[in-house]
Amino acid sequence: MSRRPDVARGLLGGLGVALGAYGAWLALTRQDTGQLVEIAVWLAAGVLMHDVVIAGVVLAAAALGRRFLPGPWRAPATLALVVWGGVTLMAVPVLGRFGARADNPTLLDRPYLGAWAALTVAAVLVVAVGGLVRARRGAGA
Amino acid sequence: MRAPHPDDFTSRLRSPAVAARVGLWLGISFALCFLTGLVSHWAQLPSPAVPFPTGPAWGYRATQGLHVVSGCAAVPLLLVKLWAVYPRLFERVDVRAGRRAALVGLERASIGVLVASAVFQLATGLANSAQWYPWREFSFRTAHYALAWVAIGALVLHVAVKLPVIRAALGADVDDTTLDRPSARAPGAVSRRALLRGTWAAAGVAVLATAGGTVPWLRKVSVLAVRTGEGPGGVPINKTAAAAGVLDSAVDPGWALDVRVDGAVAARLTLADLRALPQHTVDLPIACVEGWSAQGRWSGVRVRDVLTAAGAAGGTDVVVASLQERGPFTRTVLPAAFADDERSLLALDLAGEPLDLDHGYPCRVIATNRPGVLQTKWVASLEVTT
Repeated sequence: MSRRPDVARGLLGGLGVALGAYGAWLALTRQDTGQLVEIAVWLAAGVLMHDVVIAGVVLAAAALGRRFLPGPWRAPATLALVVWGGVTLMAVPVLGRFGARADNPTLLDRPYLGAWAALTVAAVLVVAVGGLVRARRGAGA
Repeated sequence: MRAPHPDDFTSRLRSPAVAARVGLWLGISFALCFLTGLVSHWAQLPSPAVPFPTGPAWGYRATQGLHVVSGCAAVPLLLVKLWAVYPRLFERVDVRAGRRAALVGLERASIGVLVASAVFQLATGLANSAQWYPWREFSFRTAHYALAWVAIGALVLHVAVKLPVIRAALGADVDDTTLDRPSARAPGAVSRRALLRGTWAAAGVAVLATAGGTVPWLRKVSVLAVRTGEGPGGVPINKTAAAAGVLDSAVDPGWALDVRVDGAVAARLTLADLRALPQHTVDLPIACVEGWSAQGRWSGVRVRDVLTAAGAAGGTDVVVASLQERGPFTRTVLPAAFADDERSLLALDLAGEPLDLDHGYPCRVIATNRPGVLQTKWVASLEVTT
């Protein structure tokens, strides 16, 4: 293998380290100790939230699916979980309306729970109908 | 109970083929977020070394809308990406391998930094866009800006480390097994192609569900956008007069705009005085850092005309002070190029009606290509230093 790509990779990696170090310097010089501690807690909590909570829930959902869902329903259920789960997580701040203020009716002014319920119903329908179609096709083959 | 091992994860979907393809789009969305975030940071600097451009008028509306929408799309992309590489979290580092073990340890630490900063950016950004501030100590703006550099740096380093795998994976068929872990051979519930299509669909739904906050024709579709876009004069409100604490001062009949030149009051203009000056109308958007925007038809006096009436020459920055007494944007700088732009108004009317109290009555700044937080409401004074 030629060395040119390795040099390019080394430079790219060095650039990454430099950009990251600049960010760390920005945080360390512009926030006091209490703020930095809270940032560190948030960073760690984010990793745990994914690696333990979300990954754990998905693993449990997959195990339940394998145990209880008949074969034809597994594929639509997997895809529905990807779309429904990703969009649901993204929508947490509006679904909870945590930032709503009594004095500002123009903020968070949509029926979020209704929209999310419609998304959920659509996901369930996709699983039900998709599974039925696949089961019929499988039986017909 | 023993710790999980990569071999416990047998699905062939958890593969470099899937990770590289989702990672490519995740990388694109993070790059978009980073670049548009830099633009937003630049726009909010009080006196940038390179002046922020006054046009196009819709510039900040586009970049900040893109910032929030690409962040929304990144959520499902990040979830599927992390799912695809999750088994690697449990790989053991052989500490007897010496220098190589140290390199592997460093690489894994950089992945930790990447995941932590990426989740931090998406979580704080999404919360902030919904005006939810669940943190107590840190400044959102400072932390989100600093961690953006950390996240993009860790991402660039990650791409450099993985470049051979990325190239091999993207260059081969999605079902190619050359790069797979030997233990990841079990067929998944869906094919790799179907999983990728599902992922693009999730990102697409995330975009459609939120983009209407800034793309007018998607307004009805975007059921998860932080606003409907409704409000007095067809423009939503970020901070109300009550929240700003100006309910009394803004309607005080004794209100007058002070124009200070070098510290001395050079002109005092009542609302009637302002209405007596030549009136102009502009169609300009309010584009907020939260990613939503709305077009308004604003009428009022040119900032330039007011300054001229006070005897202030052009070419200088203008400090705009609000009646609002607390908060980071009670005093803002209107850079010289904006102050002298004929589209920059002290607006008195919106959509043909006097400004609503929540829109900044008696007068507010409206200018091109600026974040909404700098379109100062309830203006008390303009200050020029020559």
